[in-house]
Amino acid sequence: MDRKSNPKLSDGTLLSDLINLETREVKMRALSDPELFELEMERIFAKTWVFLGHETEIPNKGDFVVRDMGSDSVLMARGADGEVHVSLNVCPHRGMKISTHDVGNTMTHVCIYHGWAFKPNGDFIGAPVEKECMHGKMMTKQELGLKKARVAIYGGLVFATWNIEGPSFEDFLGDAKWYFDTLWCRTDKGMEVLGPPQRFTIRANWKTACEQSASDGFHVLTLHRWLSEVGPYRKPGSEGGGGDLTPEMYGTEVYTAHAHTMRCIELDRKIRRLTGKDPSELSIKEKLEALPPPGITPEMLPEVLRRFSDDQLRVMAWRPPQVGNFFPNGLFEFVYIPSPDGVIGVMALHAYVPKGPDKLEFVNWILAEKDTPPELKAKMLRLGVQLLGTSGMVEQDDSDTWPHQTLAAKGAVSKHITMKYQSMYENNRLEGWPGPGDVGDGFTKDDTQWRWWEYWYELMTAEN
Amino acid sequence: MLQQLLEPTPLPPSIKANRIPSGSDTYNEVLDFLYDEAEMLDNLRLGEWAELLTKDLEYNAPLRHTRSTSQFDQTYSRNVQHLHENYGSMLMRVKRITDTKSAWGEDPPSRIKRLVTNVRVYRIDDSDDLKVESYLLLTRSRFDFDYFDLIPCVRHDILRREDGALKLARREILLDQVVIGTPNLGVIL
Repeated sequence: MDRKSNPKLSDGTLLSDLINLETREVKMRALSDPELFELEMERIFAKTWVFLGHETEIPNKGDFVVRDMGSDSVLMARGADGEVHVSLNVCPHRGMKISTHDVGNTMTHVCIYHGWAFKPNGDFIGAPVEKECMHGKMMTKQELGLKKARVAIYGGLVFATWNIEGPSFEDFLGDAKWYFDTLWCRTDKGMEVLGPPQRFTIRANWKTACEQSASDGFHVLTLHRWLSEVGPYRKPGSEGGGGDLTPEMYGTEVYTAHAHTMRCIELDRKIRRLTGKDPSELSIKEKLEALPPPGITPEMLPEVLRRFSDDQLRVMAWRPPQVGNFFPNGLFEFVYIPSPDGVIGVMALHAYVPKGPDKLEFVNWILAEKDTPPELKAKMLRLGVQLLGTSGMVEQDDSDTWPHQTLAAKGAVSKHITMKYQSMYENNRLEGWPGPGDVGDGFTKDDTQWRWWEYWYELMTAEN
Repeated sequence: MLQQLLEPTPLPPSIKANRIPSGSDTYNEVLDFLYDEAEMLDNLRLGEWAELLTKDLEYNAPLRHTRSTSQFDQTYSRNVQHLHENYGSMLMRVKRITDTKSAWGEDPPSRIKRLVTNVRVYRIDDSDDLKVESYLLLTRSRFDFDYFDLIPCVRHDILRREDGALKLARREILLDQVVIGTPNLGVIL
């Protein structure tokens, strides 16, 4: 059982002074305090499972990519055993970065400083001039490998943790798994990345992006209003035309013990538009045929129907998770975008990598099912690039917002004002909602984001 | 099959024998085109800029990777890119800025200079189009920030004469940075 601690910052402020659990407020200072950042790296990023990428990025033995687990660089590599391994990208000899490349293939990672060599799984192979034994005799070769993380593959996603004896990945997912299975595990062959991730830097604290990623629905109404002004969510003339994103705010929001959250946005309006019929008169199968999940074609549906329970299929056809997060720093989007070619699904994954208290790296992967027809993959990719990530017309507005919050977190006065999460669901459980977790029904609220902060606080005050 | 669908049409090669010399009439016309284009974009005359685009426009910015010297030609990725646009999607990007009151990523707009240099113009075999290579250094000043975001890149363009005037039919933007050092590419390169 974890003993509780209450870290004290150097000016005497207690962590508990920064968050009010009763009134659901967080002081701005928490956003970008350098001491808190160090604590976050130790207590969150070195403890929980961290999302690193997708196994289809490294399909062959020896393939590797360099990624970040919090403030640490790691090698994510496929070993001679065909398995994915994650090791600290730091030489145990003198601390040089082992791979200075972003991506590649090798069975021998050789440090360019003194030539120590390592396998893709992190094992030490040896140092130059073997007979002179550069590494000495005090430690065995087994002890001189790269520091290895514990790895979990879920639906092709690669997660790792330094918490070798800690909770299992299944425990970490908790109630979210029931929903996440309907996203990541929809087909027998599974998903693939459509290419390497986009990467760009934002001068903002990682939490500005991540607390938003915990299913902030309200910001869409204002920050992303262009979507209904000229963008794909402009209503058709039959529905009055013009710009109002309010209908996109209704549905179910799910939040789980470990702060994985999701917005399950209702599809009924889209299905009515596509079929001309009242969705309540259609079967689950008919609804999924009219509007299949992103990347799924009607031809692929029988496989999807076979893989899930009736309860899961009901959610997939009615209120599927469309945006959400996995704690601490992952965001996913499985959105249905109206386009001249019909509704096109876009599937994207982000990691918001902390790069110091005032900087984050935005990493954006675009995915599809392996079995998605190539023409559809190409459309999904284009729409994904146009709306999300580096140049995305939606997300460029987010990227301009987070730096201002980060700056405000430093003002002598503004660092003491609070971010408020006081919009609460009053009916916490929708009658007949089949899925687990905490559930809010109706118009979007703040409960999902508040859960994010609650779990942040729980980890920051946990002491093993 | 998938690669063909995901990746843009390969650009024609820049053949030395096809180089159009600096200072020639055609070269000067291209130079004026690039300078005028930069001026329009720097001054938010985006609607006017959109009229320079052909209807079959391909406008792309590949990703970049850090790899070894021997793999220098493998540092670009053209399946997922930073920009992967056609005529319709470029018009949407323009409309988002000109026709809405909520394109916050560029409202208030950045102060931008597009410095165009190192311009080389090539004839293309079996075509009247021109291939143009240029360097672009885009400096971006946002809000009251005292630093500039810099976006250095090489642009490979295809210019085509339509109704007597040059138009942009293709652009590939080769960015130097692996991790783009500006919060978004909400600006036109």
